[in-house]
Amino acid sequence: MTTLDELLLSRKLLVAVGPGGVGKTTVSAALGLRAAELGRRTLVLTIDPAKRLADALGLTGLDDRIREVPTTSLAAAGVVVKGTLHAAMFDNATSMDSLMARVAPDNATRDKVLRNRVYRAMAGTLARSHAYLAMERLYEVMSSGHYDLVVLDTPPARNALDILDAPSRLASFLEEGVVKWFAGQKQGSGWRAKLMQGSGAAATKLFEVVVGKDLADETIAFFDAFYGMREGFHERAEATQKILRAKDTSFVLVSSADATHLADAEALAQGITSRGVPIGLAVFNRSYERLVANDPLSIITEAGELDIPSALQTLFQGDLDHIEREGMRSLLASLHGVRQAAAIGNARALGAIRKLAALLPKDVLMLIVARLDGDVRDLPGLHAMAPYLAVPRQLDGR
Amino acid sequence: MSPRPTLLDRRLLLFTGKGGVGKTTCVAALALEAARRGRRPLIVELGHRASMEGVFEVSEIGYTPREVGKGVWAMNLDFESALEEYFVEHIPVKRVARTVMRNKTLQKFFHAAPSVSEVAILNKLSTLEAEREGRKPRWDPIFVDLDATGHAIMLLNLPSVMNGLIGDGPMRRLIDGFSSLLKDPRKTQLSLVTLPRELPAQETVELYQRLVRQRDVDLGLLFVNQVPERPLSPNQAGWLDRVGQRAAEVGLNTLVDDVALARRAMRQHANARAQINRMRKDIALPIIELPVLFDASLGLAGLAEVGQQLVAKIEEASA
Repeated sequence: MTTLDELLLSRKLLVAVGPGGVGKTTVSAALGLRAAELGRRTLVLTIDPAKRLADALGLTGLDDRIREVPTTSLAAAGVVVKGTLHAAMFDNATSMDSLMARVAPDNATRDKVLRNRVYRAMAGTLARSHAYLAMERLYEVMSSGHYDLVVLDTPPARNALDILDAPSRLASFLEEGVVKWFAGQKQGSGWRAKLMQGSGAAATKLFEVVVGKDLADETIAFFDAFYGMREGFHERAEATQKILRAKDTSFVLVSSADATHLADAEALAQGITSRGVPIGLAVFNRSYERLVANDPLSIITEAGELDIPSALQTLFQGDLDHIEREGMRSLLASLHGVRQAAAIGNARALGAIRKLAALLPKDVLMLIVARLDGDVRDLPGLHAMAPYLAVPRQLDGR
Repeated sequence: MSPRPTLLDRRLLLFTGKGGVGKTTCVAALALEAARRGRRPLIVELGHRASMEGVFEVSEIGYTPREVGKGVWAMNLDFESALEEYFVEHIPVKRVARTVMRNKTLQKFFHAAPSVSEVAILNKLSTLEAEREGRKPRWDPIFVDLDATGHAIMLLNLPSVMNGLIGDGPMRRLIDGFSSLLKDPRKTQLSLVTLPRELPAQETVELYQRLVRQRDVDLGLLFVNQVPERPLSPNQAGWLDRVGQRAAEVGLNTLVDDVALARRAMRQHANARAQINRMRKDIALPIIELPVLFDASLGLAGLAEVGQQLVAKIEEASA
């Protein structure tokens, strides 16, 4: 893989993973925008975008419908978008309910689950459901055939590996031992019946010890109803696993250059690779300060020297009174201080990025984005990232 | 009359905030200062990944507390071990408890069942709090790094969620026990950690409002990490236009770039201040600001130094 454009043209799915607070959603949207420019029908599936970015993508409604992002504002800037850009946002609680409704084999099962108090207590708060829902939604849009490329922005959780594990976790839980153990009884089939006998009785007892009898009963009823959906879940889990591991899927690791973020990114990268899924692209966002206006892509790590008296002479000749001269002198010193701090920051960032890059496979495409001005408020603002995405970075030490 | 307890006098210090805001560094610095003052702090991380391993440069922080450096102890409270400990504690026949715990199938069941992990974790926290050596608490204090805000809400919410669902029994007693530990402001305090940026600030305000509504726990401090320093004094900023203009006229390009860089730094500083002011308005907690270069790259000695300044600042703020 040599350039981002080649990646965007050859993939059907990009999965952006990374620690929270690194601008993962912004990067996902910028990748989607670039793909649309290249002529692809693109969908960005995002979770909980920052308000301004949501506005920029036209995701102002509260629902999770897919909307086309109007790109007319880019035409003024001379940017031609040959394809289309769509975006949608997840909404957790309602998506969970509609997922249950879709997977349930009949209305009775659906109602049983939706009314169950354990389910209600879980549905809104269960962190892991994010991952299930993302996968479910992904399955839906990937099989619709409406899009050439889907960019999936994953939950900003440290355990973003759930994306890979969630589908099979639930399925295997329903399918393997647990279910074989508890279910399949003719009379009063399912969990309850099995729990009441033999080793199952010990299990019930144990569960009651942990959570109390009422909650144990309700939970068993929940899994009982859930069990009826196992085929639906299993099918989807297999399908999404296939999609995630397909040849035309690439994982995109997004991080900043902060030590904390990079440590999280490193753990994520290891987790992803150890699951046999290749990372195609690493984006280090908001990673450095631009020190030279007409060369924003250079990552400058040396501040150089500033000869203040000679600079003052060049600027003003002898045209300053004493107070002005002192004011200017202190200003130039502070300006140089700001430059030095920025250069030191850049050197630290570059060192930290190199360290992580050394751990990634050699063929991973590396992009480094400078700290841009302010938040992204509109598509032209998002497009400001384009020059950085166009230049693969060669990092020494790899 | 005893003075009002300050942060380190509590038994259980909970910290929460979105991932990547620097909770781990913050907790490590405070624990280092507690240890320097002759206490025996324990840092508890919940299950996911032992971030403290990186900070203290040790491998393998497990379920059993170990000393990780400079008198600080740490452990990783993983759910499986906590559940096993809970069973062994509550099931009279040890053999049954172990057999059941070794059953892979049942383990999966407990993993998927709601609230079980929260109960097991709360149980372990209570146990740690109650541990004594002679008449003194074994851990003093206990720092709990609640991985994400969602996790914190779930744990703190557990008593009220469970109220409608559980009857009497060991579970009820446990929940009540934890509830009273949690609700005792002399013992337990939850602090928030955030960044001076729009999205984290917004989320922190929302989290704060939610916590205040629920009144499950005493709220301590708001740590704002990575607060940029003012790059130029107001006086200096007043000269900026003139220098920029002249530099462009005489072709001193480096200086033109410096002016642009300084303007960006000023904008970042102003944005950070605006977010802090906005949180000051909406969040009635003392705000403790931390500098930009406050992360694991400081090394233990650096973190300990910041921790010392930090606690001094905190004591000043609550005096």
